[in-house]
Amino acid sequence: MVALQLFVNGIVTGCALGVVAISFSLIYSTLRIFHVAHAGIYTMGGYVAYSLVMHGVPDILALLLAMVAAAMAGAAIQVLLYQRLAARKGTHLVVLIASLGLLAVIQNLLAAIYSANILQFPGAWSGEIVNLGDGIRLTKVQFLTVIVCILAYIGMMLFAHRTLLGKRIRAVASNPFLAEITRLRPQAVYVYVIAIASAVVCLPGVLVPYDLGLQPYGGVTPLLTATIAMIAGGVGSITGAFLLSVAISVVQNLSLLVMPGEWSIGVTFFVFVIFMLFRPTGLFAAR
Amino acid sequence: MTRSSTMRAAVVLAGLASAATPALAKDIQLGAILPLTGPGAVVGTQEERGIQFATDQINAKGGIDGHKIVVQFEDNQAKPDQAVLSFNKLVDLQGVPAIFTGYSGPTLAIAPLATRKKVLLINAGAQSDKLATASPYLVNTLPTTQDEVAIMSKYLIAHGKKKAAVLYENDAAGIGGRDDFVRLFKKDGGTILAQEPAQFGQTDYRPALLKLSAAKPDVLFVVITAGMVPLADQLAQMKVPYLVAGTSFMADPAAIADPNSTGLIHTQVHIDAPADLASAFHAKFNADMDFFARQYYNAAQITFTVIKKVLDEKKPVTGSNLRTALFQIRHFQGLIPMDFATNTAVVPVDINRMEHGKDVTISANGK
Repeated sequence: MVALQLFVNGIVTGCALGVVAISFSLIYSTLRIFHVAHAGIYTMGGYVAYSLVMHGVPDILALLLAMVAAAMAGAAIQVLLYQRLAARKGTHLVVLIASLGLLAVIQNLLAAIYSANILQFPGAWSGEIVNLGDGIRLTKVQFLTVIVCILAYIGMMLFAHRTLLGKRIRAVASNPFLAEITRLRPQAVYVYVIAIASAVVCLPGVLVPYDLGLQPYGGVTPLLTATIAMIAGGVGSITGAFLLSVAISVVQNLSLLVMPGEWSIGVTFFVFVIFMLFRPTGLFAAR
Repeated sequence: MTRSSTMRAAVVLAGLASAATPALAKDIQLGAILPLTGPGAVVGTQEERGIQFATDQINAKGGIDGHKIVVQFEDNQAKPDQAVLSFNKLVDLQGVPAIFTGYSGPTLAIAPLATRKKVLLINAGAQSDKLATASPYLVNTLPTTQDEVAIMSKYLIAHGKKKAAVLYENDAAGIGGRDDFVRLFKKDGGTILAQEPAQFGQTDYRPALLKLSAAKPDVLFVVITAGMVPLADQLAQMKVPYLVAGTSFMADPAAIADPNSTGLIHTQVHIDAPADLASAFHAKFNADMDFFARQYYNAAQITFTVIKKVLDEKKPVTGSNLRTALFQIRHFQGLIPMDFATNTAVVPVDINRMEHGKDVTISANGK
């Protein structure tokens, strides 16, 4: 029973991480920018929703408005920061450092406005228990996280493969130079990509703090794990990023059965390092 | 009048003015290295307020023998390396003779430096056992974790809770608390069934709680310094059948206010603030004067008493003289009676139970 509950908990955490991974992957595979400030957007989305909920806005509306706010913030980052750095021939390292700096600014702003305390969303519904049988229990918000994140994964797949904009993004990601001369306007696509990814990352950015509380510095660890999942899954593969996120979380949870918690993260990532040695392009990389 | 004669007149007038006015007493600079950002900031901010409140009070009364007190606050983010940087800045650049400190890891990191540079460290928030002997220049106004754990261990055994699991923070404070509990609980006749770590600032305890619950303990002993509210919520969601106990680390005001914390018990250093003091604090900071604010207010008052003794003896306010004066005074009566027979003060410790938003004493002074 403990193993099954750990497995289910791993699925919950993994689905949330999976959405962080696919949104980060969308940015990285298209813009080729290691957008570390995505962790700040993830955290900011939670705080925007928190503020709205505290002012009486219904939970679902708060989530949607947080997504809009995040999309706008993401687009602003692309236009005001990354686009300008690209125009000035900023190297990848410069862009990475700028992104890191922006992350620090976002985190410190949030800490200054909301304090560094762990904030809890109001509303008892999120902590109510859903019994899945055999003693397997999830809170309502955990259950909702799984559903929403799986839907987000399916939505991203459909968006990437079935919509005109999705195909345009894939074309730009595949060959920006060709996209430019075929008038696909890569610069506009970059703005759409970062806005969409920022809105999507708000889903776990709001739902996870509903369960575990909000912290201004809470976005870095999920992003780090999601990045590893993205690389292990194969850069550019939505399915790879999502499935590897779930796999990492499940392995991390189940490893508690055979080892103390302080070893589980190290051992889990050691396994993935070994895996990468044999398949450095990732599990689902395009051949 | 030429420019040079004007200058001469100004110099003469300035000289006359300075001769007529008594010399202004020099400000006394103190330091404070606390976590003001990051997961520890909830505690660090209250500690800062406690010191600032006491400082403002003494300065409003004219300072100490005419010397205003100025406290330079530095943010260590609860990180040892940041604490070292802050220490060097305060001591080498500002020349402070005494520094308020908190959190075990950062305090242990700067303790050897304090010994070398003869700077008095006043810790009113950290409780690792190693703090008791870390430096002759480090004084602790709180008992160490070991002292609190000893009281809780005896209480648990006396109430039939003989099988324990331990959830601890994977840092100096948490590991020290775990080791104390394991050693003392076994010595008192108890059995340790399982133990699991949590990272500082972590808020998802479910995997660890699942594993610990599977061991079917009578009591879960918790040693974490942040994230008590999510822990209480997750314990309530899991409907755990066992008692949950800890030390004063648990006394996060937000956790006490959380209805899901009902039933959690913890040791607590008995330190109350008079109503007028608490309301003045609230009026100033728009926040309650919680445990850590009271602790650091008290620590600041002790420091001021020691500074006054040094000044009265016409000695320079150095870390060495402050340390000597502190142990000469030895007994302090601030918000609580405090005795410095060693570097770590002996103070009363209660056992409290969180009940629907309140922290109720169920065993006064461990009895």
